[in-house]
Amino acid sequence: MANPLHQFEIQVVAPIHFGDVNASLTNSGVFMLITVAAVTLFLMFGMRNRRLVPGRWQSMAELSYEFIAGMVRDNVGNEGRRYFPFIFSLFMFILFGNLIGLVPYSFTFTSHIIVTFAMAMFVFLGVTVIGIVRHRLKFFSYFLPKGVPLVMAPLLIPIEIMSYLSRPISLSIRLFANMMAGHTMMKVFAGFVVPLGILGGWAPLSIDVALTAFEFLVAFLQAYVFTILTCIYLHDAIHLH
Amino acid sequence: MSGFGVAFRIGVELVAALVVGVGAGLLLDRWLGTTPWFLIVFFFLGAAAGVLNVYRAASGIGLAEAEGAPAPSDGEPEEQDDDWPGGTGSDRP
Repeated sequence: MANPLHQFEIQVVAPIHFGDVNASLTNSGVFMLITVAAVTLFLMFGMRNRRLVPGRWQSMAELSYEFIAGMVRDNVGNEGRRYFPFIFSLFMFILFGNLIGLVPYSFTFTSHIIVTFAMAMFVFLGVTVIGIVRHRLKFFSYFLPKGVPLVMAPLLIPIEIMSYLSRPISLSIRLFANMMAGHTMMKVFAGFVVPLGILGGWAPLSIDVALTAFEFLVAFLQAYVFTILTCIYLHDAIHLH
Repeated sequence: MSGFGVAFRIGVELVAALVVGVGAGLLLDRWLGTTPWFLIVFFFLGAAAGVLNVYRAASGIGLAEAEGAPAPSDGEPEEQDDDWPGGTGSDRP
């Protein structure tokens, strides 16, 4: 039976070395480039001939734009508008990465924790810097909830700091685990199709058909969750509580 | 959002804080040579933070409210700009 984890193996496509630093282009990197190109093409092609009554492609481009614009507006408020380009890029990158990963023989870079952790850490550090720049030292009052007696502060502040530091971990694990679990499950069931023969093989095949539909849902949902949590963290940093 | 998604999110919240607590405890112990005291203290702090995360996730400070209503802004009214890129805005507060 084929190894269901083979799909996650990193393969070097073009070896690049800067001194001791291994900066080789891997299949993960190739699919990131493909994703960026696909997002760019999607938006460029969608907005190529702008009409008052949009066509199909223009509708999809406008829909994704308004979806994120509404999300930023509802969850961050008016101060969030200047971070819209970043949040929109983040959403499109994760969504297209998840969807392109569903194509057979492709590679899902969001199924690697180092990729999702790098994105989550960037969001976390960026949001913290925004909070500190906006509120200076008042930002650290975030760790002491309002109306707490001072006696409890030595216990509550470490707990709040832990809770704050766990954000990038939960953010990255959620996306990575969902993508990896789904893809592994699909490959495990697919591995049973041929060995079970013409009579028994239909059962895992039909499960795989259902799982494929479910994976499309997960691909969208996890991009949505990652983006909306970024918005909520940004809201916390801007408004403090 | 599906029930499975909510359940998974809450599980991850609980574990993530524990991972941070245990990780911080182990690192401090290795740095200061105080094995196992920081690990014990930070394990409990991480567990408490995990429960706090779960409470916040479950009581709607997070995803649940993000489904529909806008996040609470602590009574400070924000002026609405008309040139916000959110399109028509007719269906939004």
